[in-house]
Amino acid sequence: MKRTIPRILILTVIALALAGCYESASVTRHEPGVYKGEQDPLVNKLANDDGLREQLDQRFDGQRDR
Amino acid sequence: MKLIRKQTDNSSNKAARGSAFDRRTFLKRSGVTAGAAAVAGSVPLGMMRRVEAQTASGSRNRNVEVKRTVCSHCSVGCGSIAHVENGVWVGQEPDFESPLNMGAHCAKGAALRYHGMSEKRVRYPMKLVDGQWKRLSWQQAVDEIGDQFLKIREESGPDSVWWCGSSKANNEGSYLQRKFAAFWGTNNMDHQARICHSTTVAGVANTWGYGAMTNSYNDMHKCKSMLFVGSNAAEAHPVAMHHILRGKENGAKMIVVDPRLTRTAAHADQYLRLRPGSDVAFIWGLLWHIFENGWEDTQYINQRVYGMDKIREEVANWDPATCTEVTGVPEEEMRQAAQTLAENRPGTIVWCMGGTQHHIGNNNTRAYCVLQLALGNVGKSGGGANIFRGHDNVQGATDVGPNCQTLPGYYGLSDGAWKHWARVWDVDYDWLKNRFDNEGEYDSGDGTLARPMNIPGIAVSRWIDGILEDPENLSQRDNIRAVFFQGHAVNSQTRGPEMKKAVEKLDLVVISDPYPTHLAVMSERKNGVYLLPTCTQFEQSGSVTASNRSIQWREKVIDPMYESKPDAAILHLFAGKFGFADKMFKHISVDDSGLPSPEDTLREINQGTWTIGYTGQSPERLKLHAENRHTFDTTTLVAKGGPCDGETYGLPWPCWGTPEMKHPGTHILYDTSKPVSQGGLTFRARFGTEHEGNNILAEGSYGKNSDLEDGYPEFSYAMLRRLGWHTELTPYELDVIAWVAGQLPEKPAGSASQSYVAQFRDRESEVLDAVNWKTDLSGGIQRVAIAHECSPFGNAKARAIVWTFPDQVPLHREPLYTARYELVSKYPTFEDRKSVWRVPNRYASIQETDYSGDYPLIFTSGRLVEYEGGGEETRSMKWLAELQQEMFVEINPADANDRGIQDNQWVWLEGPEGGHIKIRAMITDRVGRGVVWTPYHFGGWFQGEDLLDRYPEGSAPYIRGEACNTATTYGYDPVTQMQETKSTLCQIKAA
Amino acid sequence: MARMKFLCDADRCIECNGCVTACKNVNEVPWGVNRRRVVTLNDGLPGEKSISVACMHCTDAPCAAVCPVDCFYTTDDGIVLHDKDLCIGCGYCFYACPFGAPQFPKTEAFGVRGKMDKCTFCAGGPDGDGSEEEFTKYGANRISEGKLPACAEMCATKALLAGDADMVADIYRERVMRRGGRPQTWGWSQAYGEG
Repeated sequence: MKRTIPRILILTVIALALAGCYESASVTRHEPGVYKGEQDPLVNKLANDDGLREQLDQRFDGQRDR
Repeated sequence: MKLIRKQTDNSSNKAARGSAFDRRTFLKRSGVTAGAAAVAGSVPLGMMRRVEAQTASGSRNRNVEVKRTVCSHCSVGCGSIAHVENGVWVGQEPDFESPLNMGAHCAKGAALRYHGMSEKRVRYPMKLVDGQWKRLSWQQAVDEIGDQFLKIREESGPDSVWWCGSSKANNEGSYLQRKFAAFWGTNNMDHQARICHSTTVAGVANTWGYGAMTNSYNDMHKCKSMLFVGSNAAEAHPVAMHHILRGKENGAKMIVVDPRLTRTAAHADQYLRLRPGSDVAFIWGLLWHIFENGWEDTQYINQRVYGMDKIREEVANWDPATCTEVTGVPEEEMRQAAQTLAENRPGTIVWCMGGTQHHIGNNNTRAYCVLQLALGNVGKSGGGANIFRGHDNVQGATDVGPNCQTLPGYYGLSDGAWKHWARVWDVDYDWLKNRFDNEGEYDSGDGTLARPMNIPGIAVSRWIDGILEDPENLSQRDNIRAVFFQGHAVNSQTRGPEMKKAVEKLDLVVISDPYPTHLAVMSERKNGVYLLPTCTQFEQSGSVTASNRSIQWREKVIDPMYESKPDAAILHLFAGKFGFADKMFKHISVDDSGLPSPEDTLREINQGTWTIGYTGQSPERLKLHAENRHTFDTTTLVAKGGPCDGETYGLPWPCWGTPEMKHPGTHILYDTSKPVSQGGLTFRARFGTEHEGNNILAEGSYGKNSDLEDGYPEFSYAMLRRLGWHTELTPYELDVIAWVAGQLPEKPAGSASQSYVAQFRDRESEVLDAVNWKTDLSGGIQRVAIAHECSPFGNAKARAIVWTFPDQVPLHREPLYTARYELVSKYPTFEDRKSVWRVPNRYASIQETDYSGDYPLIFTSGRLVEYEGGGEETRSMKWLAELQQEMFVEINPADANDRGIQDNQWVWLEGPEGGHIKIRAMITDRVGRGVVWTPYHFGGWFQGEDLLDRYPEGSAPYIRGEACNTATTYGYDPVTQMQETKSTLCQIKAA
Repeated sequence: MARMKFLCDADRCIECNGCVTACKNVNEVPWGVNRRRVVTLNDGLPGEKSISVACMHCTDAPCAAVCPVDCFYTTDDGIVLHDKDLCIGCGYCFYACPFGAPQFPKTEAFGVRGKMDKCTFCAGGPDGDGSEEEFTKYGANRISEGKLPACAEMCATKALLAGDADMVADIYRERVMRRGGRPQTWGWSQAYGEG
């Protein structure tokens, strides 16, 4: 019994150490001149959603003198 | 796209980095400490509340209610859309559909949502006990205050409590404020219109009938010329500038006349720098050129104006050299301005506080009107007198609210007026009369004696004199011993040190306001101050009248915050305490929360306010306009199609007759090119039919399609009978007329048979004949007049001279404290007056001393765009407070150098009555040499001391500073008690 | 392809600060951070002009060019946005920007700089559109709701315009024609080139 606890501790430490060495494939790495941040869903939406486009154009009428 | 010419990189870079020196950088720099303090607690409350709202609803953006409200910060009437989620105001959107602002806002309007998250509010009733603020329940507060008021009433009479209402109350709240004072039994009730446009209302109404803006902001799209005198629209009415600049883009010539080169002047075609207080001289100087060159509209004057000959005689004294000598405006500039106005008609004139706040304010406003009459500009689209009012509902509160000199609707205070309103209120006239002090008679002002019920009360500009003056000199039994302020900033009134003394002398001070206000902290009082938490307009619904007389319905955005209550609910509580709630709210239902119905209140206003046609704007019609606001044209304000087809937005008064009559409202006053039924009008026959043997009715001018093709007096039953039109009255209408005439004991129930009323139809009876378009509660007389396309109020000439005023012809008189003392002998002020509205008015006795040696600088004041009025509310709104962090004085570089004053340095500004304020110097050419200017929105300091410790904990505004009026001086208009704030003296020295 | 732009018509700008508080209102930026400001030239003198300034969402944004961690990205319509998780608060962008747009809120004691904050054209940031995280970091995402920047939508005189460049230019061209005289569109060519 005396040795059980340290052994568990050692195993835990090893497990943690190994986990710490794991490298995620999705981590942001800097590449000069390239945006590597989170993708903004708005970028796609603006590019592809004609409805939104039309909505924005109509909304612009509010800025006219009327 | 090659549209834009490239500008020099040099200047643009400079600007972007903020190295160019301007007012903003000045203030940002000077306000670092205040900013840092605010950053400390900068987790936005709105953020927290937003999260609360979303947590309650589970996730984002469901359950969003859309409410439509109207900005409460000026009289333009900007609509705003509020998004409310679970009771929290989470979003503000532009109201593109509003024809008044089309979504636009200034700094204040774009920050409206802050009202829903303000942490600086008075949260519960409080009283000051030995210098500490102690929390009370509403019941305790009402009982304690009520008992003390009743005791004062017992000892000194009802006139010893002075009530202050508000231009920021809606029509219903302000109307109930006036009605409440009547039921309490006093005329000592007033509001900030007194110190805003009272001289306009009196001067303009006495010239052509109604004392309101004749056209509208929108109509300025059609102007050919625009003359601004003492109006800084870019800061005081920013959204009006949208319409003004559109007018300018359409080709209008814009002239700005002001002691300062204002932000409005920056957009003008011509800017004239005027010496403060020389407006009459300036206008007569323009008219000199107009008469000299024959530029006046002779036909218009002959048909529609009386007394222009007397004006000509006075104007002859104002040749170019004399005018320049008094006003400081170069001769050639004067001629050019006169020519611009003559060659670009129709043109409008705009004036604001720069013109009204003078001890000769009524002369100024009448001179402006006379200029427009001479040019034939009144009653025309693109012309008129576009008098920009101040607060959001100052027009409405003037029309139907708390005024010391009149009952709602400008009925005055005669017995006839009281009887009219007693009929509308359905109370016994004798009961009402007995509520007043009937023990004595007092000087009514013209030397005759009258009872207090018939004497105007003490004005908002003079309540301090009601406290301090020897009671022997007052036209009432005793001094004012208690005050009740509901929505007013005392730091907007002059003579700070005397005000402090007055407040300290009072038995009791009650402040019903969303914020503590300067009044709560300015005195050394340790006891006897009560704070009652009161709602803003976003916590209640009701109607609000914009400057152009359009009435809009506000929806309630959020429930009352903390423990606050709407004005009307608070008045209802006190009416209950005083025992007249049943009578006062006889025809106004009160809901479970104690709130009197705004709809019922508006209907009661509709039923009584015939004089100004506040009768057709039922709550139902106003709500229909709000729903269909997108159908209204943004220039003519007329609806094209839809359920409001042909009506004018907000049914601008006069909207004659009953709501059922469907009058479309009157966009442009006195416009004879339209039939009266379509919003046309003539000048009002308010002053009789002749003067000194001359006919003063219109000659050869009448409204389109009018059955009377000449001038005519106001309509009465007698007149209908003479014309044979009385047969067109319905039996019910005739029945009501008979009741008003005292011929029937009971108010008619709603229908009457032809045979029953036949007995009255042709009866020649003086009492029946005397019932007129103002007192006929059926609206029948108005209906019949309009069926014949006649104006119910008659068709007269406008009068260029007002024989009932101290100066029949408007005269230039030097300010009481003038820097040009050598001019006093030629243009002296009035003699002292023993009693004007219950208090003495001093004039010559002040002017007899020359103060210009020790106090050589002319001191004038004005507006900043971020703040409103006394500023307690807007200085408590973080988004605004951040933008203007310190009180300052604008001083010309020459005057600063003469005094060794550096930019941004602390200085003392001292007025000739000893009031002094510690503020920052801002050195700028915006003001001319010899003139200094301060904003008037600051408070919470007094003569060098920050009063932070005296506010209830956590309720002090973010930004505090000296009130400029601590240093302003005595001076009151003899007609309206308007205070002189725009032309006094001061000295400035380094602090 | 549409291109989103700001235009401030200096002949209409009255320095009322409506744009500034509209921005504070919808984005709830803290005291001391001003994504938008009004700058006045010749203050108090004849010829006084005011212009409302914020990030202009430049065509070749200098901020993005100098950013050492490349935290900027641009939508197809030219809205320049950035990821605060990448930003290191170095301040290079502030020096590069001709409009002084980037702001650095004080988030810690001793004035240590926080992440850069700037106008997003009311288009939020990379976190999920309309999410709480996005609002906290970047403020409102009105674009995703079909609305345009609040500053322009609430401008008192419609001096500040925001939207599709062609539509903005049409309005402005019409005004200039009616007025006659020289265009007053400070910053436009600097931000968007001559095109």
